[in-house]
Amino acid sequence: MEEAPMSYIMVWLAPWLGAVLVLLMHRVGGRAKGLVGVASLLVSAIFSTLLLQRALASEEPLHFAAEWVPSLGVTVGYYADALAAIMAFVAAWLSFLIAVYSLEYMGHDPGQTRYWFFFTFFVGSMEFLVLADNLVAMFIGWEGTGLASYALIGHWFTDEEDKWVGDPGRKALGIPMWFEPSHSGLRALVFTRLGDVGFLVGIAVLHIMLGTTSLEAMAANPAGWAALLASKGILAAFLAFFIMGALAKSAQFPFHEWLVTAMTGPTSVSALIHAATMVKAGVYFLLRVTPILAGAASALRVTSPEVYHTIEGFFAWIAIIGGFTAFMMATMALVSRELKLILAFSTASQLGYMFLATAAGALTGTAALGVFAGLSHLVSHAVFKASLFLAAGAIIHAVHSRFIDDMGGLAAYMPATFIAMLLASLSLAGLPPFMGFWTKDTVLHAAHEAHAQVAFMLGFITALLTAAYTMRMVLRVFLYEPSNHVAKHPPHEAGKLMLVPYALLAVISLAGGALWPKLEEGFAEVLSEKTLGLGTPLHLEPSVSLMAASVGMVVAGLGVSFYVYHILVAKPMETISRIPILYKLHTFLYDRWFINAIYYRVVVDGLKALSRAIYNYIDQAVVDNLYHRFLPWAIMGASSLLWKTLEHWIDTGFHVSLVNGVLSFSDRVRRMQTGILNHYILFLWLGLTVMLVLITWLAGW
Amino acid sequence: MEQIILEQPILLSTVLVPIAAAMASWALGDRVKEDVHAGLNGGALLYSLVIYLALAWRFGLDKIVRDPWVWDVPGLGRFSMIFDAMVFPVLVGIALVTGLVAIYSVPYMRHRFEEMEHEGVKAPGWGAYFMMYTMFAAAMLGTVMTTNTVEFYLFLELTLIPSFLLIAFYGYGDRVRIAILYMLWTQMGAVLFLIGALALGFNVGFDFYDPATGRFMLGFGDEGLAGGLATAVLAAMTIGLLVKMAVFGVHIWLPYAHAEAPTPISALLSPNLIGIGGVMLLRIVYTAFPSGFSSMAPILLFWAVATMIYGGFMALQQTDFKRLLAYSSVSQMGYMMLGLASISVYGFAGMILHYLVHAYGKAILFLTAGILITMLHGLRSIPRMGGLAAKMPVTAALALIGFMNITGIPPMPGLWSEYLLVRGAVEYVFSRGVLEFVALGGGLLLAIGLSTAYSFLTMKRIFYGSLPDHLKEARDAGGSLTLPLVALAAAGLLTFLFIYWMLDPLMAILSQVYG
Repeated sequence: MEEAPMSYIMVWLAPWLGAVLVLLMHRVGGRAKGLVGVASLLVSAIFSTLLLQRALASEEPLHFAAEWVPSLGVTVGYYADALAAIMAFVAAWLSFLIAVYSLEYMGHDPGQTRYWFFFTFFVGSMEFLVLADNLVAMFIGWEGTGLASYALIGHWFTDEEDKWVGDPGRKALGIPMWFEPSHSGLRALVFTRLGDVGFLVGIAVLHIMLGTTSLEAMAANPAGWAALLASKGILAAFLAFFIMGALAKSAQFPFHEWLVTAMTGPTSVSALIHAATMVKAGVYFLLRVTPILAGAASALRVTSPEVYHTIEGFFAWIAIIGGFTAFMMATMALVSRELKLILAFSTASQLGYMFLATAAGALTGTAALGVFAGLSHLVSHAVFKASLFLAAGAIIHAVHSRFIDDMGGLAAYMPATFIAMLLASLSLAGLPPFMGFWTKDTVLHAAHEAHAQVAFMLGFITALLTAAYTMRMVLRVFLYEPSNHVAKHPPHEAGKLMLVPYALLAVISLAGGALWPKLEEGFAEVLSEKTLGLGTPLHLEPSVSLMAASVGMVVAGLGVSFYVYHILVAKPMETISRIPILYKLHTFLYDRWFINAIYYRVVVDGLKALSRAIYNYIDQAVVDNLYHRFLPWAIMGASSLLWKTLEHWIDTGFHVSLVNGVLSFSDRVRRMQTGILNHYILFLWLGLTVMLVLITWLAGW
Repeated sequence: MEQIILEQPILLSTVLVPIAAAMASWALGDRVKEDVHAGLNGGALLYSLVIYLALAWRFGLDKIVRDPWVWDVPGLGRFSMIFDAMVFPVLVGIALVTGLVAIYSVPYMRHRFEEMEHEGVKAPGWGAYFMMYTMFAAAMLGTVMTTNTVEFYLFLELTLIPSFLLIAFYGYGDRVRIAILYMLWTQMGAVLFLIGALALGFNVGFDFYDPATGRFMLGFGDEGLAGGLATAVLAAMTIGLLVKMAVFGVHIWLPYAHAEAPTPISALLSPNLIGIGGVMLLRIVYTAFPSGFSSMAPILLFWAVATMIYGGFMALQQTDFKRLLAYSSVSQMGYMMLGLASISVYGFAGMILHYLVHAYGKAILFLTAGILITMLHGLRSIPRMGGLAAKMPVTAALALIGFMNITGIPPMPGLWSEYLLVRGAVEYVFSRGVLEFVALGGGLLLAIGLSTAYSFLTMKRIFYGSLPDHLKEARDAGGSLTLPLVALAAAGLLTFLFIYWMLDPLMAILSQVYG
């Protein structure tokens, strides 16, 4: 057993300590808080590097666990197999670079304490989640990222118009399609927490069966608990609940809406959420459980085919959801007018790719292929998307507008940003030799191998759409003729602290791509041998024809955009407006397939109406009136009735009849007092006899 | 479970010392300043807190600690007082909240007295306020440590009179009517419980804990009562305490009482008093009728989820901040009831822990409402608020922490209680088929989703967005209006981090007594 030093907990502890320090320094002005934040993230990144080295060199996963809550089997520490160590490494370094960028980007923001507190808290939670060795600890990190994203998305909580996302005044089905930061933060939290309840139910189920929530226990005999669940008839329901948290976190249909409006946060936050933390947590969770579930399926393939089919069906569903999300979000990116929004749609779409890859890989019978494809694309996406967002932040800052209509021709004003963004964009588009090309190819390869036809076709078409919207973005921002806005306010190149991080990331996405063919085999091998639940080395058999086909799609996509925006140079919107069917299609895509509007119309308005109806007609009309009006009325009525009848009878009985009776009695008694002694003696004897009888009776004789 | 008998009646002293302080306040009246009253009463209640912490520290929570005095009451069993891991979170919740709110009361009630003077109402002064306040708090502490149903009932009655008077004297709106309404409802609950307790007591016994052997009398009702009577007794005691908890159907008094009580009293009523119903349902009723109670579990489980959802829906409809919090309490009582209905050690632990979590969270939130009332001229209407985080960042942060507690977001201990409650409930449906499993999961999704929605929607409506003109002058309160909230938030963080200290012995005693 490899010795696992405690010090590596600094990967998650350092950012959390940084958060505490930032809070303590809330009165300190200037840059100090930012520097503390950056320093804590650097420490985390360095330790993540050391951890990665050790984990990859070690035979066994590096595992350090200190007891936290023994009665629930919750430990803290780290569990670093290849998957966790790579993930922790990528998240830490990207977060560090984004933090460096933030030093300048957020330099003049008044909410420094809040920003840096939640930024570092975010990274600490993410690393805690990634390195957790049990599901409860993972859930704590998971919820921590939820809280931090809520706070950062709503960072500009005073809701000024320039911080909104969407077109002010635009409505779809009567529902406003613009969102203030405070609204977006709320959406993010509510959407993701819905999924989290499902996750929690799943954790509880595993805890009941295994007596612990440790990942190793879960992976030790997955066939055992899967069969037990199947015998109780709840395997499919369990899987649906268990994965719900990941679907919501990673903005997969039908939970994707929150991510789109999360663009109200500072752009650095968008980069953090989209590249390194938060949304990647869902993918990571899927990568974590896929080998375990696939192991259960393959172990039960012969003995319990129905369990096998349930699990396969689950993966097929995930693949479809992933493919569908990839396709749907790419179509929305085609028409968006906001730079950040294009990137946001793109993220959800690319996350769909990752879900598709992982699930499809499992369907091939080689979970390692899924993990390899999913993680590869996660890493390459993290790199180029961080670069794209950071560059977009610089552009929006320089142009003072989030709309691409206000851009155009920026290549002349911001040449370095142009080159960086071009490189990252080509990686996103999936053009060889960029990293994005190779990893997208593994995604399609996995889907193809799995014979998941529908999902594969969706993914394949998405390749074309991705190239098209990426090219459109680059052309309209940098190469299209400058807008009046740009001509009036010439923008300037970003400062070094901002420029260096995204330029570096763009270069990495190129260099990584160039080296990919050399690294790929080794990466696949290490990952497949040293990840929990896997074990057999993965050998890649790339399909040249598929690669050629996907390059064809990319080139076609780039070509279409290039033709429309550069050769044609017509304003496409003018053409579209003239043709009703195209205009309707445009509206459909622009209003996000009306899904947001339908959610508000049906779910939000429905729940509101339900809540109002229950309040008015049940709580107030029935319950309140029953207890506080009807019952008092009934009691008062009964009281008045009794008062008029029984009480009146008693009253007259005692106070009229009785009094009259007594009076007439005393009258008679008076008449008895005759003055004759014999009469008195007779009365005395009679009285004594009555008393004697009474006494003897009371004494119990 | 080992029983430790103290040499001095220290547990009783945690009730008597506050009562003595209350009497002293009464006697001193207007002769001393309000700060002296607050120091005296807050100090006495914090004395109780320190004693509980010290006992836990000294003996560990894995034992049952008993007072030396056992009062043999002819015909009514034995009255004594015990302290163990099951009641530790509850006692800490009560002593901490009441101790801190005593301090908070000074600036708040000063404002309230001025307000009432404007209205032309002459309310009893500081001495009377603190006398009633601390009597109320001390009686609550007493209820939890009892070993006998009649002893419990007596303390429960003792909570009622001062809280009734506090609402009647210092409340808002139609305060006298609401105070009477509160009185009638909770009295009805108490009497229902008493009827059950007497029927149980005269037939079987009044002690649910045997001070001599140091054992809980598990199943003494199930064994000693005949079928029909057992059901009637069980139903009377359960419904009596459910009225106290204000679960769906018998909840309607709570939004009136908790919203219109003076805010420091709301912060005592809401998390502290009503939650006792849940905890004592376990400690008395479940102890007496484990099998009878278990057969009611499906109904209670459904009722619990219905209460969670119903309270959430109602909270969404409120425009008055305090009334919203009151409906949130109804929903939170559903959470506690869920743990109870799950008939599992995890669920029970979740319920007890959630008592403390709700105490932190709801106390912070009611006190936040109080800060807004004090600083913004009685402002309670949420539609007239907005953007206040810009002017009141500390208050906003504290309110966020309050909501994090009740929605279970780390680093607040609500995360632990939420997990335990879900864990318990899932265990109940685990072997009962897919329909039950899916129904529970879906119910929880809706219930917890609604809690998240009303919590963070309220944050948005009060603290985010643009600041209306009439709130331009708003500022943070500071001083003894804020420090108690900070202390509660800090206690929440510590509870989250050091949860094992409380939870491990709690799980152990629950497994041993009920497992």
